[in-house]
Amino acid sequence: MINFTLYKRGMQGSWKTLLIFAAVLAMYFAIIISMFNPEIGSALEEFAKAMPELMAMVGMTPASAELISFMSAYLYGFIMLVFPMIFSIIIANKLIASHVDKGSMTYLVAAPVKRSTVVFTQMKVLCTGLFALVLFATVLGIVVCEISFPGELDIVRFALLNAGVLCLQLFISGICFLASCVFNESKYAVSAGAGIPALAFIIQMLANAGQDLEKFKYATFFTLFNPDGIIAGEASAYLGMAILLVGAIALFALSIIVFSRKDLHI
Amino acid sequence: MSIIEIKGLTRDYGKGRGVFDLSFSIEEGEVFGFLGPNGAGKTTTIRHIMGFLKPEKGSCSIHGLDCWRDSASIQQSVGYIPGEIAFFDDMTGSEFLSFLARYRKTKSNGRMQELLDRFELYPKSKIRKMSKGMKQKVGIVAAFMHDPSVLILDEPTSGLDPLMQNRFVELILQEKARGKTILMSSHIFEEVERTCHRVAIIKQGRLVATDSVDALKAAQVKKYVITLENEESAAAFVNEGLNIASVSQNSVTVIVQNDIKELIAVMNRYPVTNISAPHQSLEEVFMQYYGGNI
Repeated sequence: MINFTLYKRGMQGSWKTLLIFAAVLAMYFAIIISMFNPEIGSALEEFAKAMPELMAMVGMTPASAELISFMSAYLYGFIMLVFPMIFSIIIANKLIASHVDKGSMTYLVAAPVKRSTVVFTQMKVLCTGLFALVLFATVLGIVVCEISFPGELDIVRFALLNAGVLCLQLFISGICFLASCVFNESKYAVSAGAGIPALAFIIQMLANAGQDLEKFKYATFFTLFNPDGIIAGEASAYLGMAILLVGAIALFALSIIVFSRKDLHI
Repeated sequence: MSIIEIKGLTRDYGKGRGVFDLSFSIEEGEVFGFLGPNGAGKTTTIRHIMGFLKPEKGSCSIHGLDCWRDSASIQQSVGYIPGEIAFFDDMTGSEFLSFLARYRKTKSNGRMQELLDRFELYPKSKIRKMSKGMKQKVGIVAAFMHDPSVLILDEPTSGLDPLMQNRFVELILQEKARGKTILMSSHIFEEVERTCHRVAIIKQGRLVATDSVDALKAAQVKKYVITLENEESAAAFVNEGLNIASVSQNSVTVIVQNDIKELIAVMNRYPVTNISAPHQSLEEVFMQYYGGNI
């Protein structure tokens, strides 16, 4: 079901991108966690007072004064949503659609390797990258917190929060990957793979912003990821995670079917 | 026994493009030339044989296995040179070849070295920086290095210089002697003449003729371009009763069916400055053979 040579090749092709995203996350984590100050409130709260709508749109409204709520609001409302999403868009396109577009897919299918094995292997590459990125963020968050504020972070709930973000990101990468399998040209694969999650994210931002627009939250899958709910241990938040995970599996399964059955003009 | 069989293959792209009810078969150990003008449907047919496209109607099979359904098992014994070659640009030629060998789980790399030597290819540079000819050589090595019993070659010598084209013909002759079954599309008459047993020509997606190369050669008419000193003598030359194809200024194109002596006799009486036999494309030879009905 998996071709190890192709898997290795895929990892070699994506580790540089992975490194760049890890560096960006490291920078944000270090800066934002250092702004946390339980006694006198953080500089970020000043922003929230100055422009409440804007901060609400990007989810930067902590539910409590705890460190984990602070991180959830300032890192898991925007940064941990958008950066892994961009990673998925880039890598998903590179793994399938770009090979079809350039014609190098020829050599992958003109070999005694089933098409389903090719797609499944490429899917593993994407998921490995995403898993590594979220794992890196988890370890990074714990390490930075333990250095700056020893004992302040609830590590179990923080790990659960990251599991939640992983479910969401797998779902998003499923959309990107499906687009990559459906379209024969990179430009269309990227348009759909980036356009659909970006649109969903904009709807989420609108829903966050105002009273009247709140009903929009039913029109975006981002609602299924509820960081405050996960931290508070709400059953609905875990259900959301499960739905995202099942959705991700369905999207990847569909990708494999689509690619195995489609005509390749290469 | 037929190794490659195409039965009623149809794919309609609209506006007369595609392939329509195409049927032919290639026997074991046969080298089969596949010819036709650009856009005739050669590459579309080859993509079906390779299992990239699903036939709308009809079927293709290799070793009795369906090219679409059993593509992966068929590919074990198939070597392929695509019409448009594209590799992984960021690899060097040798990285790509060893990647491919591992990807295909090819047992030995001995044959790869032999092929690299044969084509004087030292693929240490990045593929993106390679010339068309270099890429074509990498493509040839990639197609032959796992020693397949069936070869599907889509214009395999495009971009190669005459010396390397010749090396390629020698390689095909060797493979032919080893009993390989080969389907090859080409534009170069000499290449097909030297290698193929049989030739098929396809036009507008339909098979218009299949014949042996020997029959084709026997029917070939030769063209000569005679250049004379001036236009006056060219005008007089035309009236000598030869089969004249065209006249332009002081050069005359003569068609010779079988009697070259007649032409030589006439030429002796004229101030001829040059004589040349222009390269004839396979399509032209076919057109003459079938009286322009193709």
